[in-house]
Amino acid sequence: MPNFAQGHLYMIAAYLGFYMVMSYGMSYWLALVLATFAMGVFGQIIYSLVFYRMRSAPEVNLFVAAMALLMVLEGIALTFFGASTKWFLIPFTRRVITFAGLAIPLQRLIIIVGTLVVMILLELFIKKTTIGAALEATAQHREGAMLCGIKVSRISAVAFVIGTGLAGIAGMLIGPAVLLEPTMGMGPLLVAFSAIIFGGLGSIGGSVLGAFILGLVESLASGYISAKYSLIFVFGIMILMLLFRPKGLFGREVWRP
Amino acid sequence: METIRTLFSSKTIAWVLVLILAIAVPPIVGGYLTSMLILIAIWTIMCFSMNLIFGYTGQLSLGHAAFLGIGAYAFSLITVKLHVGFWPAFFIAIAFTGIVAFLVGIPALKLRGPYFILVTLGFAVIVGVIVLGWIDLTGGANGLYGIPRPNSIPLPWGATLRFDSLLSMYYFILFFVVLIGVFCHRLIHSLIGKRFIAISYNENLTESLGINTMSQKLLSFTISAVMAGIAGVLYASYNVVISPELTHFARGMDVVAYLIVGGAGTMAGPIVGTMVLMSVPEVLQVVPYLKTLINGIILMLFILFLPNGIIGWFNANMGKLLKSRMAVNGPA
Amino acid sequence: MALLEVSGLTKSFGGLMAVSELNFDIQPGELLSMIGPNGAGKTTLFNLLTGFYKPTSGTVTFNGMNITGCKPYQVTRHGIGRTFQLTSIFKQSTALENVMIGKSLHAKVGVWGSVLKTPATHREEQKTREKARAILSFVGLGDKENRIAGGLTEEAQKRLSISMALATEPKLLLLDEPTGGVNLEEISGLIALVGKIRKSGTSICLIEHKMRMVMSISDRIIVLNYGKKIAEGTPKEVANNAEVIRAYLGARYAA
Repeated sequence: MPNFAQGHLYMIAAYLGFYMVMSYGMSYWLALVLATFAMGVFGQIIYSLVFYRMRSAPEVNLFVAAMALLMVLEGIALTFFGASTKWFLIPFTRRVITFAGLAIPLQRLIIIVGTLVVMILLELFIKKTTIGAALEATAQHREGAMLCGIKVSRISAVAFVIGTGLAGIAGMLIGPAVLLEPTMGMGPLLVAFSAIIFGGLGSIGGSVLGAFILGLVESLASGYISAKYSLIFVFGIMILMLLFRPKGLFGREVWRP
Repeated sequence: METIRTLFSSKTIAWVLVLILAIAVPPIVGGYLTSMLILIAIWTIMCFSMNLIFGYTGQLSLGHAAFLGIGAYAFSLITVKLHVGFWPAFFIAIAFTGIVAFLVGIPALKLRGPYFILVTLGFAVIVGVIVLGWIDLTGGANGLYGIPRPNSIPLPWGATLRFDSLLSMYYFILFFVVLIGVFCHRLIHSLIGKRFIAISYNENLTESLGINTMSQKLLSFTISAVMAGIAGVLYASYNVVISPELTHFARGMDVVAYLIVGGAGTMAGPIVGTMVLMSVPEVLQVVPYLKTLINGIILMLFILFLPNGIIGWFNANMGKLLKSRMAVNGPA
Repeated sequence: MALLEVSGLTKSFGGLMAVSELNFDIQPGELLSMIGPNGAGKTTLFNLLTGFYKPTSGTVTFNGMNITGCKPYQVTRHGIGRTFQLTSIFKQSTALENVMIGKSLHAKVGVWGSVLKTPATHREEQKTREKARAILSFVGLGDKENRIAGGLTEEAQKRLSISMALATEPKLLLLDEPTGGVNLEEISGLIALVGKIRKSGTSICLIEHKMRMVMSISDRIIVLNYGKKIAEGTPKEVANNAEVIRAYLGARYAA
């Protein structure tokens, strides 16, 4: 179930990390682990309180609940963190590394390496572990999975928690590289969904490829045209894809529930 | 015979009473409450719009409030920068909103479920970005000001109807609330409305029955967007000033909250929901940014425990209330 | 000329060949049954014919027109109606409203006409209502028109879904397991209904598992297995076909 609040979860994680490091002087790496863990726990709580209760409700209600979650998170951020933008400054990661004629801030490198590590770990988890297999099975066919004795509600919780945990990692990785503000989660969320649609529904490889292509588009548009409107270009390309090839690059059948 | 029976049914009587209250109350309660009521009325129109596309056609368009923003900005730009009169500007603005909606709807409605929701949300975010960023056109964060009220209308007996006062704007806007309410009611109860409702229940089944669901969804989407545009024009004219805050994506979410709390898919739901949720922050005297948090919490509680909203609960339990009365008195 | 001509129809999902090189036709006025073990591709075939799936290759011609790849609503407008294996009705509306939706594709109504309640629109709505009423009585649900569809019995719901498909005025009606979940006494009632529909001139293509029913009412039968046609002919021919027996009962019984 696509969780709209994902972007806002990432935002909360970034803020948490910000306070842990900036206000309490915690080490960046410790904060990263803690933030991820905290988001995971938070995810379990939300799942048990909200989405588990609604497992037999019409799908639309789940979307509304995710939206309500988004509103609550944004409200919390506005109330406790304030609307002004904050700068998550970690001295050692602002160092710029130069090699091969390129100057890259260390934080960006951390993001790239971190993302690759997470992706590889995730792939291994899904392909090699039993839980991972159960996740795949449940995603493909809920009833069939239940017949195989898989506890679907537990697996759904796992999936959800992994999702929130990932948001935590993302928040900690990217937070130091950008300005923090309560609506910072929206942009990434939209780009992420654009990537999924662009790359093709049902194709993980397509989503990753889509993410790279769209990320490139966003950076190029930011650099050469305007940073403000870069999101519009990303979105525009996704719309074009929708008009001419609704399946996306590698998608399977157009989604018909 | 049918008409006379419906004229006197208890539902109609209830609506007439509400209308009488709506007309009679504001002169009595004074300026502050009247301005609150005006805002409630405008967002009720927006809620009617949301009810049509979501409550009755089943498409959760999270970005629909963007059409209110588009209507407001289009109207304001045309009147302030091009010095066009109120009524021509009104129609141009809502036509523009409709056209934008039509163009957005064509790719968006090809998607189902969460993907549609996200694309509409994205649309709202983009509208917000454009309004904030295109400073030359929209004034950016400063917004636009000097938006005109409706022109005075000369009355047959020599007086003129002017719209400078709060009260006159209230009745002007109330007129639109009633107009749009009746429009929605008739549309929903017609064959076209039944098609919308069928689509909301089972789009594949509806399509297998020979109905071009894409065109029907587009119709609902565009009509509801025009309604939102009307709300936008009314807001701009009443407020004289508009700012990009109007186009923030959270507005669209607030409207969904109003609708669900009131009761999606009912005629009274939008009115009740908007009234309740807009009054709560006023009553509690809370700071504006707490509004989103409160709306979110209330919405979460409702979607968990009362997903059909206040009116939905009322409709479901009316039967029980009536039945118990029958049990006591025996069948008539 | 055949009413429906299917040629080389193939559908693959990734590596899975759900339907493979199907060729058959349906003559006007006949009742053709599709049988085969579960997973043989019967419902997939219906989805292909009605536009819910796009064929990987092959063509579907209806009444001389190529309808391959048409959207579902276009297929219905060309004259093919269908029911679904999982009884698909609008559970929250009344029976009459359900059939009215089915009929509504023929109604000439517009937004302004509906909102202004013009006489023309009113007439169209009345016409739709009357025709829907007639169809409900045709299928034997005339007295239940104001009942909420979700509250009807399983058998009545099946009848309702058939009446909704009939409302679209199809020349060919595809019925996907119309007696599924219905008890033995009620089956004969549904069989009689199918016969009645046939007599009124609509051709029928039936997916069913109940052999006795299939053998008794079909003009012709096609047997599918693993997406391929393995037999075709009159009920007698098919019953004696070695391939069919092998598919259903295993090689031991084929001899």
